[in-house]
Amino acid sequence: MINRRTVLSAMALMLTISLFLPALGQKKSSASDSIKLPFETYKLPNGLTVILSEDHTTPTVAVDVWYHVGSKNEMPGRTGFAHLFEHVMFTGSGHVPYGLHDKLTEGVGGGNNGSTTNDRTNYYETIPANYLESALWLESDRMGFLLDKLDIAKLNAQRDIVKNERRQSYDNQPYGRVSEIFSAAMYPKEHPYSWPVIGSMTDLSAASEEDVKAFFRIYYAPNNATLAVVGDFNPKQAKEWIQKYFSDLPQGKPVQRPNVPLGKLAASKRLVYEDRVQIPRLYIQWPTVGFKHDDDYALSVMSSILSGSRTARLTKALVYDSQAASQVGAFANSAENIGVFQVTVIPRPEHTLTELEGAVDQVIQKFLTEGPTAEELQKAKAGLELNFLRGLESNLGKANQLINGAVFYDNPGQFSTDYQKTLAVTAADVKRVANQYLSRSRIVLSVVPKGKRDQASKATESEAVSLVVGNGGGK
Amino acid sequence: MRQQRFMRERKPFALAAALVLCIANIAAIAQTLDRTKVPPPGPAPMLRVPTWTRTQLANGATLIVSERHNLPLVSFAITFVGGSNQFEAAGKRGVAAMTVSMMTEGTTTKSGDQLSDALQLLGTNVNAGISGEEGTVSFVSTAKNFEPTLALVSDMMLNSTFPAEALERLRGRTLVSLTQAKDQPVVIGQQVFSKILYGDAHPYGQRTTETSVKGITRDDVVAFQKAYFQPGRAIITVVGDITAVKAKAAVEKGLAAWAKSGDKASFDYPKLPELQPAKIYLVDKPGAAQSVFNIGLPGPPRNTPDYFALQVLNTILGGQFQSRLNANLREQKGYSYGVNSSFGYGKGPGAFRAGGSIFTAKTDAALTEFMKELKGIVSERPITDEELKTAKESLIQGLPQRFASVSAISQAITTLTVQGLPDDYYQTYAKNVSAVTKEDLLRVAKQYIDLNHLAIVIVGDRSLVEGPLKALGVAPITYIDLDGNPAGGSAPSSN
Repeated sequence: MINRRTVLSAMALMLTISLFLPALGQKKSSASDSIKLPFETYKLPNGLTVILSEDHTTPTVAVDVWYHVGSKNEMPGRTGFAHLFEHVMFTGSGHVPYGLHDKLTEGVGGGNNGSTTNDRTNYYETIPANYLESALWLESDRMGFLLDKLDIAKLNAQRDIVKNERRQSYDNQPYGRVSEIFSAAMYPKEHPYSWPVIGSMTDLSAASEEDVKAFFRIYYAPNNATLAVVGDFNPKQAKEWIQKYFSDLPQGKPVQRPNVPLGKLAASKRLVYEDRVQIPRLYIQWPTVGFKHDDDYALSVMSSILSGSRTARLTKALVYDSQAASQVGAFANSAENIGVFQVTVIPRPEHTLTELEGAVDQVIQKFLTEGPTAEELQKAKAGLELNFLRGLESNLGKANQLINGAVFYDNPGQFSTDYQKTLAVTAADVKRVANQYLSRSRIVLSVVPKGKRDQASKATESEAVSLVVGNGGGK
Repeated sequence: MRQQRFMRERKPFALAAALVLCIANIAAIAQTLDRTKVPPPGPAPMLRVPTWTRTQLANGATLIVSERHNLPLVSFAITFVGGSNQFEAAGKRGVAAMTVSMMTEGTTTKSGDQLSDALQLLGTNVNAGISGEEGTVSFVSTAKNFEPTLALVSDMMLNSTFPAEALERLRGRTLVSLTQAKDQPVVIGQQVFSKILYGDAHPYGQRTTETSVKGITRDDVVAFQKAYFQPGRAIITVVGDITAVKAKAAVEKGLAAWAKSGDKASFDYPKLPELQPAKIYLVDKPGAAQSVFNIGLPGPPRNTPDYFALQVLNTILGGQFQSRLNANLREQKGYSYGVNSSFGYGKGPGAFRAGGSIFTAKTDAALTEFMKELKGIVSERPITDEELKTAKESLIQGLPQRFASVSAISQAITTLTVQGLPDDYYQTYAKNVSAVTKEDLLRVAKQYIDLNHLAIVIVGDRSLVEGPLKALGVAPITYIDLDGNPAGGSAPSSN
């Protein structure tokens, strides 16, 4: 499938989103007309999408580049590339020697970083306003000339660092391997969301220089990238610099988007994993939908009705009333093509995971029958405006918001649609998605102390998960 | 993520490198673009430090207001000078945190659930916490919800009923958290490091334990609330979309029932334990994939005249991604996902600390490199002009970031009063940083990074790292348990 982003006129298209929100039910609207984020967007002939948004409050600028490539674009056996690449992108490029990137960002009072998800990879610089041109130069050089200076030594160095990142963030963290256990259990083996973003130690070791270069040539081209500049700058000047540094980068081939089926379990699974922990934990996960599906709004509202405050349903029942749990959380997590709803429970001593699973089910069953109250719905939405406004305080936060819309919806103003659709969620919507998704087949995972498999919820029916605790060799 | 967040003190603008690049004809330049040329920076922006007013309220609290009208947001914070180190007894560690949690459990007119629902309907989160040397009760709200939120905060702070059953629930949950902390090598490392440096008799070496939590009574909580939340030691900071006049009226109305009481806390700490010769303190964590390093010793307080020199020094040594420690141990050697260093400052002798999580198989090699970099900054590898220049620029030009949000401004302003710094601190920051010389850096490095008395705390798999560390012979090894007590020198128990 070819990137179906509409080609906008090369002329800048000025958009200002301003929401005058409809009244919410009988209550007077709690939202103001403050949900605005002015921006301008256009496309270069080579396919690079550009978004500009001025904010002169602080003399700083954020430069943010997203590539529409994540771990789901990898092949089984070659996992972890998108993230490994994120690291390689900071090691210098054709005209940028190693170290200069940090010097022109961190070294002038700014910062830089990158992040990788299943769906996209991002890179950013936050800098004093007078360093905008050099930041654009840095981003353009690695977009166009990274491979000129990439060799096996550089690759190996970053590979070791990524292995350390894996050790630090997953292997040496109590309960740190839960997400990869779920990914592997929720999807069939070849499914693009079945492996962890950081990849496996074995695959990281196996990546050849040519593998990595081929990956770059496919995905790191202007037509697969979106650039946002947000903060204290002159738009005319910024456009000139963007033209200067990005316009001669060659367009890449059209990017094929994988056809990704939703997660679906033929039957429920019960798993148990032994970890270096003293207190067991219960995790329940149901497959849902990706974030482009309208049900995602109601699922997200449902998550804050079930947990987060002391009067949320699961929290009140388990942490406050029965006090069988120390903590409980309900999360609606969604990606571009898939989503899951997860409940996590940390028990108090003397309370078993079996008991807690029953208690969770009881709360959910009641919720499926009665749905949320008007007040629950109202509470769940009351913080939206404040969260939005606080997001506007940061150049980088705004940049990410705008790019997210551009990359996944061809619409940098998607945040306003999201806001409106969340406010429009009704009690009936929440009740429907609760019934539709939470009565499906699911995965129940118990994480228990080493040698204490009997502490799992319904231990005799649970299947043990064994993971390779690969140290990945290393140097 | 490419990197973890690096903690850093930041600074203002004053470097004058005003190279203005004049772009006359973009199209022409694009034809002959020379990408090897690093684009020079534009003229440095003017530093804009927010202004504020400071007044004394009738009840003794200090009120600071800074207006900012770009967004309809208001940040509110009450900062109490003095914290758990000043107000908790050694045997009652944890009572401050328990009291703060108990303030959400109900007032004379509202149950805990009613308070929670009221805040949810306002869409506002109230944060309250007490750290070693200060406490805060704070929130950021929309401008229109500022006064209703303040009314709830005031109710929680002044009229809490502290129901006994809530204390038992909280105690149970706190004990679970303490157990979970023992599974976290990073947390263990921090706790053991503090205990080794400061000992049990110094508040910096104490922490909340199962024993102290079990001993806290409702009376302790009530007494703590009474003794601590007093206006005489409070700084109330309001920043955002509200005028100074309205802010003062709102605070005086919202906190009208808060009667005058309390004095400034004093920060008299006991003498530090005698410094020990450099030693490795090894904490066994069987099966750990990494060894967590904390290397250091007690350092200077925040009011040290050496503050600016130390900030520059640490920026070069370990305050940033490109600093010496990370450049070597992560980027060159590949031993870690990130290592760093910091000075803790505070009203007392906050620690100098260097550390990070190291691949188990490279524990000994990493210690060699840590020691090499510490020796380097103290004597063997002089700081270059380039390092000095970059560190200063980085600190100075990072200053505007401190004023990027209402809560950031609140913190930046409040800290001046808490730490007794001058009102023109940010205006003079660049001058103070610029004045630091290489000689200053060498002097403070030698003075504060005392290589002969470093505590080297390593949490990792003893069966794998003990042999290599012994062979290295950097310092003698002492064995410590998860609580920081001697574990004896015998062979590790099997897992």
